[in-house]
Amino acid sequence: MKNSRIIRTLAQKLLPFIFLFGCYLTLHGHLSPGGGFQGGVVIATAIILLTLSYGIKETENRFKEKDLSFMEKLAILAFIFLGLLGIFFGYPFLKNFLPLGQRGCIASAGLMIPLNLIISIKVAAGITGIFYALVKYRGEI
Amino acid sequence: MKKYYYIVLLIIMTILIIGSIRPEYGNPRNLDYINYYLEHGVQDTGAINLVASIYLDYRAYDTLIETVVLFMAVIGVTFILSKGK
Repeated sequence: MKNSRIIRTLAQKLLPFIFLFGCYLTLHGHLSPGGGFQGGVVIATAIILLTLSYGIKETENRFKEKDLSFMEKLAILAFIFLGLLGIFFGYPFLKNFLPLGQRGCIASAGLMIPLNLIISIKVAAGITGIFYALVKYRGEI
Repeated sequence: MKKYYYIVLLIIMTILIIGSIRPEYGNPRNLDYINYYLEHGVQDTGAINLVASIYLDYRAYDTLIETVVLFMAVIGVTFILSKGK
């Protein structure tokens, strides 16, 4: 099912900005309010907007459900792997083993940026997966 | 047999919960934890945002379990909805 042309064009033009805002929230998670969960939800909102305006079939050609669930499982494994990696350097589980860097810069706080990125990917894939399941098996859209 | 198993589990849980309660833990005048985070948080973790420094450094293990909880929710929703078809 396709919506009207106005909605489709508007969603198409808005999509990159929503993605950019999600990436901004994720990457500035240790400097300003925001973080992995919030950025992931914003990125998932972009895909949901695409589904609402273009329909489920056309969206699934771009963002396949198989890839999304694969990325979600990979993100959990990467989280645990990053935690275990610190053990080889002689730290406890999930302890920050990277250099702290200068305060206030984006490239600071060591392990926080990778963890935020992983959480963001995981939350985006998970919420999109829930939305896909609701749309496909209930036939709401 | 199953009933006794649950009763024994319940008793063990009650003992553990009662043993873990500390009366001074919820006291608003006891500001040791809060003061520690406010004083040492930026030096320990290098992040300006203290909320991020708590949930990604001091309590990173909780965040790991939180992501697993969302993962379980996705699995549950997909499984239950796809069963009808």
